[in-house]
Amino acid sequence: MEDRKLNEKESLELIATMISRTKERYVGDGNILLMWGYLVVAVSAAVWMMLALTRDYEWNWLWFLIPVIGCPTTVVMAKKQKRDSGVTTYSDKITSMLWTVAGVSEIVLILFCLGFLFIGSVDCWSAMLIYTLIVMSFAEIVQWMVVKERSFAVGGFIGLIAGMVTLCCVVGGIPLDARWFMPMFIISFAAMMIIPGHILNYKSKHDERA
Amino acid sequence: MKELNPLLHSQLRLAVMSILMNVEEADFVYLKEKTESTAGNLSVQLDKLSNAGYIDVEKGFVGKKPRTVCRVTEAGRQAFIEYVDALREYIG
Repeated sequence: MEDRKLNEKESLELIATMISRTKERYVGDGNILLMWGYLVVAVSAAVWMMLALTRDYEWNWLWFLIPVIGCPTTVVMAKKQKRDSGVTTYSDKITSMLWTVAGVSEIVLILFCLGFLFIGSVDCWSAMLIYTLIVMSFAEIVQWMVVKERSFAVGGFIGLIAGMVTLCCVVGGIPLDARWFMPMFIISFAAMMIIPGHILNYKSKHDERA
Repeated sequence: MKELNPLLHSQLRLAVMSILMNVEEADFVYLKEKTESTAGNLSVQLDKLSNAGYIDVEKGFVGKKPRTVCRVTEAGRQAFIEYVDALREYIG
């Protein structure tokens, strides 16, 4: 392309061409999603296994591995993703803000739960499980609306149903038995993050080849 | 009939502005690839747009590699909208 003058018709055609070229971009790779998905599933499985083997509830502290590993890794991966793509679209910005709000609110809730535990000796960690399932599934559903990737909607609704079941159990006084709750939690995160993450990666590789 | 803004009525500058109007920000490599221009020419046109206040150009480094990121400004957005309106008038 050169620095030449255009006539009016050429100008409009050029604007249309450039707009379509900015749309020739995949929705992004699914690596951050996969990292979170596998991290949550691995930590959940580890907690479940240790609880089953030892009956010692102290193993629940392992849940903290999720934000400790996930948050700094996300920052590094997001920077690399931005550098590699060379462009930030409006949907990237919405997505980033959406997950930042969801993530920060999770951290604030962790602090509240710790406060209730240490100051008031009240165990309210089940709030964390309900909040995580419902907020993450809402974020997934919004992500589906932004990037139009259907697997986000499917995963989001699975997570939402799991969150509602958990909420009803806690409010109704039904104990969250690890034998059914942990598999449900793991399946929800696999549906919300691992499956959409692999689908995004498949699509982005397919787009690169095309 | 409105006069067409001479700064935007040029192939490469209009291409750059059309891209930046559709994204939050884009780096030099992305703009060069999408406009299929040479680095030297693109650099000159970015300077012209930046001097007119139509885009913000942020020069930085990623590791040891330089990285130039461009964003359209409010003045640039307004100028582009007026340019498209003027084009519509011309074409009828």
